[in-house]
Amino acid sequence: QVSVINTVDTSHEDMIHDAQMDYYGTRLATCSSDRSVKIFDVRNGGQILIADLRGHEGPVWQVAWAHPMYGNILASCSYDRKVIIWKEENGTWEKTYEYTGHDSSVNSVCWAPHDYGLILACGSSDGAISLLSYTGDGQWEVKKISNAHTIGCNAVSWAPAVVPGSLIEQPSGQKPNYIKRFASGGCDNLVKIWKEEDGQWKEEQKLEAHSDWVRDVAWAPSIGLPTSTIASCSQDGRVFIWTCDDASGTSWSPKLLHKFNDVVWHVSWSITANILAVSGGDNKVTLWKESVDGLWACISDVNKGQGGVSAVTEGQQNEQ
Amino acid sequence: LVPGADPSARQLCFAWGPAEVLVCETLFGRAGAGTAARALTGSVAGAGEGAPNSSRVFVVRKDQDIYIQTLRKLFNESHGIFMGLQRSEEELAGKSRKAQLVQVSKNYRSVIRACMEDMHQAAVSTRDPALQGQYSTQVSILSAMELIWNLCEILFVEAAAAGPLLLRLLDWVRLHVCDVDSMVREVLSSESPSKHKLFWNVVDVFVLQGRMDEARHLLSKEATANPTSMNMYKILDDLMKKMPVPSLGNTQTLTELELKWQHWHEECQRYLQDGTFASNPHMESICKILLGDEDAILEKKELMTTWYHFLVTRLLYSHPTVKPLELRFYAQSSMDLFLGGESSPEPLDMILMAAFEFEMHQVIKECSIVLSNWWFVAHLTDLLDHCKLLQSHNLYFGSNMREFLLLEYASGLFSHHSLWQLGVDYFDHCPEYGRVYLELHIERIPLSTEQKALKVLRICEQRQMHEQVRSICKIMAMKALRNNRLGSALSWSIRAKDAAFATLISDRFLKDYCERGCFSDLDLIDNLGPSMLLSDRLTFLGKYREFHRLYGEKRFPEAARLLLTLMTAHIAPCSFWMTLLTDALPLLEQKEVIFSAEQTYELMRCLEDLTAGNPDKQKFQDDDVETTKVEMLRLALARNLARVIVKEGTVEGS
Repeated sequence: QVSVINTVDTSHEDMIHDAQMDYYGTRLATCSSDRSVKIFDVRNGGQILIADLRGHEGPVWQVAWAHPMYGNILASCSYDRKVIIWKEENGTWEKTYEYTGHDSSVNSVCWAPHDYGLILACGSSDGAISLLSYTGDGQWEVKKISNAHTIGCNAVSWAPAVVPGSLIEQPSGQKPNYIKRFASGGCDNLVKIWKEEDGQWKEEQKLEAHSDWVRDVAWAPSIGLPTSTIASCSQDGRVFIWTCDDASGTSWSPKLLHKFNDVVWHVSWSITANILAVSGGDNKVTLWKESVDGLWACISDVNKGQGGVSAVTEGQQNEQ
Repeated sequence: LVPGADPSARQLCFAWGPAEVLVCETLFGRAGAGTAARALTGSVAGAGEGAPNSSRVFVVRKDQDIYIQTLRKLFNESHGIFMGLQRSEEELAGKSRKAQLVQVSKNYRSVIRACMEDMHQAAVSTRDPALQGQYSTQVSILSAMELIWNLCEILFVEAAAAGPLLLRLLDWVRLHVCDVDSMVREVLSSESPSKHKLFWNVVDVFVLQGRMDEARHLLSKEATANPTSMNMYKILDDLMKKMPVPSLGNTQTLTELELKWQHWHEECQRYLQDGTFASNPHMESICKILLGDEDAILEKKELMTTWYHFLVTRLLYSHPTVKPLELRFYAQSSMDLFLGGESSPEPLDMILMAAFEFEMHQVIKECSIVLSNWWFVAHLTDLLDHCKLLQSHNLYFGSNMREFLLLEYASGLFSHHSLWQLGVDYFDHCPEYGRVYLELHIERIPLSTEQKALKVLRICEQRQMHEQVRSICKIMAMKALRNNRLGSALSWSIRAKDAAFATLISDRFLKDYCERGCFSDLDLIDNLGPSMLLSDRLTFLGKYREFHRLYGEKRFPEAARLLLTLMTAHIAPCSFWMTLLTDALPLLEQKEVIFSAEQTYELMRCLEDLTAGNPDKQKFQDDDVETTKVEMLRLALARNLARVIVKEGTVEGS
């Protein structure tokens, strides 16, 4: 059972494309075709507009909050080919960096796990993925993966930080050697996994299963298991769950979650990775959970204007 | 479900918050190359249908119950019982362990009842009809929960055997079927109860619930008022007095009871067939009930109100020695007979039925679906697990049902500003995933005050969650820095062992000093101790402050030595050398010669290094103040050198 606890009237003048809560659920950032990014304080069911950020010259597609240890930082990407990083300084929000290295619309931005530092991945319709790393003193270093996806890249999502051989004691104070990975989805119908090796980003895996553009990818948070899980959704109406069982990260196997009747735009994991939310055709947001025998079942849908939430029993597959 | 959302061709976009889901209306149509057309038509269509509607974002959440004030006590107290259970003596075996578990179960139930009471009070005392409705709903939910829990306690925890089983079920029915209570009170408190029109209803109620003494007492009043029926009354009274019932102690075996019961049953039968009660239909119907006549009992449907009451009454008068495993058959037929095809079973009925069938998993599953939060199933399942009743029913991530439910419940607690602390304990007792869930959730707690941050930190430190400790300290340091509380920022970054940040803050301190000529947060800097070594800049800051202290205490030679070391050992950053040298001036100008010749040479070398190696030489020379300073220094150094050569060259005493 879900209930609406707050309705935020953003006063955006056009379609909203993304809305993201910050780390603690106290602030809400929204972005829209009206080219603005707005930030609201939503504590205790309230909605106070904190900032109305202008700087983009086209519809803004996505926003992403950085980890609070770096301060209050928000990234936004837009059709105007720009990625802007905003920061709150002395109580006001300002543009702190603008990246214009793409040749067409930037569709997706995603911050890396905080353990890696302040790094932002950006996927663009020019087929490239840029990685912006903060090096200190207002400086950002850029690494670009050109032609990551032919025609365009629609989504990027980082893998959770896992220290290799983390069972071994790291001498304190020494920075552990992380293996950085992220997943991307593109117009070439592929999901790709990228790995950083010796400072260079290389394509590690190509996951093929979709028959149309991949619209979103989401790497599930880690709950300590040796398996990695990625969800991908596509214009072909399918949502796949990819799992990789070994630490070497080489054998990914897909499982079809569901075939919807319409384009699936968005997939997203809850913070403990036990529920996957899928936004798709039929104007529904559905929530999915994996049951005993590995089958995925829909546990509820958030249905617009259609009365109550139907809690489909997920347990039907539970009983032997 | 989402009110006001336009059900036209708009789609929902959403994102996860830490505890909630955001939903906003939008129209997906990213302009990828080649789909620009599609996107544009999409948004044009949307615009045409009244685009202004699309500016709202809905915050949606599951499990709102944690915010209900009156339930707070339920959560807090049940937490206490839960913890007690986890820590309880496992070594106790057999009977004493069982008694212990039954007590725990009773404790949970009394907490539910207490909460019901509070909720009821709230409902009665509020004037707001909406709130009243809410409270009343809550009361009935809690009441249902207690009903279910009680039955589970009888069947599963206590695992009452044939004999006592019936007594327990009778108690259960008496406790929970309360619709008739007001009627009972009314009749009992009237002047002459036997004249009351509902008199016989009340007698029936007592009989149906097996409350023989009370029934007989009322009947005696009727007898005194109606001497003509004295004969009938005496016989009925006698029958009711003699009725064999299971006893709790071990005074009789089941076989003995069955035998006695058989005899008694036959006696009742004889009286009925003889027509003893023919003239009084009320008494006759009571006799039929005593004989377990289903139709007679069913006639009193309204007085029983529920099928499970009917079940227990039936059992009382036809199979008092019913065995636990036989219950399912009687339960099913009772429900069918009672509902009679007019109405269909409700969720509550199905749950109770599953309990009578001893399908524990079914009970839990059904409750999970019907109830709006995980509290009930989590605690009940945990208790049943402690009774060793649940086989490890592996769910997909390999943890058992108990853990699964506890994880869900505890996760829900984390979105609450104070109940999250209870959640921590629950996670602690989930051996497989508790820790990682705790790690993921504890980072999301808003650190609104320093106290809260310290609380969270303590929890992390107790559990050796070093990553989280570091992360939290860094966040607090950043926050403090943003609010210009340098001292606080510094102590947080030291605690986080964050060298880079410490360097940053030290720089800020030093900058402040240069601008204002004094230090803030002296206490902190003075007492850095070994943590000074965290970063070079921090070490410098500490030592520099020490220099000032020494100077203040007029311990000039030591101060001088320290100052020099700061430069020669490269503890001081080059940018600061000018300031240090300027600090040296007053020492050079003292009456007493402080710097030795060698030290003076060192100072001069530093100055030359500074001015010569400086790439901004041009700037240096252009800046008058700087040039003057340099000149003054050179002069002072030279003078000092002169004096010290003389001093050192002078032989003592000559």
